[in-house]
Amino acid sequence: MLILTRKLGESIQIGDDIKISFLEVKGRQVKIGIEAPGSVTVHREEVYRVIQDQNRNAALLNTGQLPDMMDQLHRIVGGKKDVGEVGR
Amino acid sequence: MKITTSRFGSIEVDFSKVIEMKGPILGFERLRKFALIEHNKQSPFLWLQSVEDGAVAFVVVDPFMVKADYAPTLGDEDVRLLEIGRPADVLVLAIVTIRKEPFAATANLRAPVIVHATRRIAKQIVLEDDAYPVQYPLADQPADRPSHAGTRAPQSFQRCEGSPEAAATGK
Repeated sequence: MLILTRKLGESIQIGDDIKISFLEVKGRQVKIGIEAPGSVTVHREEVYRVIQDQNRNAALLNTGQLPDMMDQLHRIVGGKKDVGEVGR
Repeated sequence: MKITTSRFGSIEVDFSKVIEMKGPILGFERLRKFALIEHNKQSPFLWLQSVEDGAVAFVVVDPFMVKADYAPTLGDEDVRLLEIGRPADVLVLAIVTIRKEPFAATANLRAPVIVHATRRIAKQIVLEDDAYPVQYPLADQPADRPSHAGTRAPQSFQRCEGSPEAAATGK
């Protein structure tokens, strides 16, 4: 791991289009600013991990009774069939 | 283009309707192309099937069917990235986690997949606001469901009415 020391107001440039600025230190909290292109996703690590885990759980499907399961889910969510037209 | 999936066997996907991920589904960074497949015409549930890996698919749902007052906000960067010009461009999908007990299924309202319905580009975003849970139960919450009858998504982020047909049909 590359370790750098920076003063408040200074920043770090990563590649051509990512800039990280150090804005404020208050006790044990550090406020940083991140400028990055939209294609680069920036997340708090703990949130990122939670979403990643959730996605992985969602993708691991036991395919056996899925069509039945889908119908069951539909019933659970409710019979509002007239508005259930996502993607159509 | 034909793809072989573990759920539908071999299916024909119209190449022009494939959704390209401009930002990844977290944990699946290498998969950039998905097809949106209808379960059936009436169901608010769809499949997001990886075109590159037939074994990977997600069940997705119209989040406004799950929580009528759902109102995610998109950051400027994401609006630019997804080339969104107006609310009608936007199709919002929540990834569903299916469990053994159907009533235990949850939808991820914290990290919806935002799709530009006509350009067919998408990104999974993570909402800053933690008001929306990663595991929102699909099953009725007591005293929750009845009041939703007939309500629509908020104007600010209404789902797309005129979006194109699902990207593929399960033939």
